[in-house]
Amino acid sequence: MAMAALRKEGRRLVLSSNPSSFARSAVFSEESCPFGARSVSTQIVRNRMSSVKNIQKITKAMKMVAASKLRSVQTRTENSRGLWQPFTALLGDAPGVDVKKNVIIAVSSDKGLCGGINSTTVKVSKTLFKLTSGPEKETKYVVLGEKGKVQFLRDSKKSMELSVTELQKNPLNYTQVSVLADDILKNVEYDALRIVYNKFHSVVQFIPTISTILSPEVVERESESGGRLGDLDSYEIEGAETKAEVLQNLTEFQFSCMMFNAVLENACSELGARMSAMDNASRNAGDMLDRLTLTYNRTRQAAITTELSEIISGAAALSH
Amino acid sequence: MASAGSMAAAPFWRAAGMTYITYSNICASLVRSCLKEPYRAESASREKVHFSVSKWAGGKPEKPNFVPE
Repeated sequence: MAMAALRKEGRRLVLSSNPSSFARSAVFSEESCPFGARSVSTQIVRNRMSSVKNIQKITKAMKMVAASKLRSVQTRTENSRGLWQPFTALLGDAPGVDVKKNVIIAVSSDKGLCGGINSTTVKVSKTLFKLTSGPEKETKYVVLGEKGKVQFLRDSKKSMELSVTELQKNPLNYTQVSVLADDILKNVEYDALRIVYNKFHSVVQFIPTISTILSPEVVERESESGGRLGDLDSYEIEGAETKAEVLQNLTEFQFSCMMFNAVLENACSELGARMSAMDNASRNAGDMLDRLTLTYNRTRQAAITTELSEIISGAAALSH
Repeated sequence: MASAGSMAAAPFWRAAGMTYITYSNICASLVRSCLKEPYRAESASREKVHFSVSKWAGGKPEKPNFVPE
């Protein structure tokens, strides 16, 4: 109930480009009071003020919650970066690789009220889709999170392959993400997996990022053509495993590590974005409240002045 | 057993239809269950798995499939 009210009001707070006109209109509609009434009723303005005050309390509380959650997630995110760095050092990152079957994994959040991070992910994914699609090529989406799913539903229904929600019921952990990564690997055919997420830079800065994971066959093909992957042959392989097996294991593990980091980075960005969004909302509510209070007091004062002058002029008329 | 398995054409776990991720998760949970209390309970909380997956076919989602553990 409170959340629904917040959402309704929150949109007005954030989106209304000129809140002052809004505040004034509430008062103006009041000034067309019924004929013969002595003064303007300030009831509606008072109601509006109390509702704005309540919304401000809620947004402030949400900001505090996001801030305290952010702290723990941020350390975990920073630690998880150590998981993918060795892979990038070994295999490099090849965002420009041209392959037939592409899978775009868009990481978004389940909850809203967190600024533009979900639409950023969706926009980047759709651009990537255009870049990778072409004749004889196939690109599919795997969407994590409710908010991203809703945005893809509008025009990319046909290319959806999997959607995953409710990932953040419990605190994120590696086991969970790796089971998810396993599910994704089993359900899609790919030459390259591209994970799109918001990388956490600071509380106010999130960088849309693409991580590319190549299938073992593509890695082999690329390594034959030289480049960074060409150095793979200089590694000695222990045991009786063949290079193909090692590469397959490596790809799977790389994918689950990348996913873990991507999901954490995105969760961290979400909290940061929510924090600043809620901070803005509280500030806007404060501004609005100031304006409302000003109009309220002015109207009240005007009514008092009118009454006083009526009384004085009445008294003056009688005494003469 | 393990060494005998890895000598085969494919590792025994891949022959059983597992991916490397599943295999490493099983190994990880074995290691976690070797811990003493209270560390074991603490690490058990890192094993919770919960999400819902739905596969899409022809622009429509199929029934969501919950993965609880």
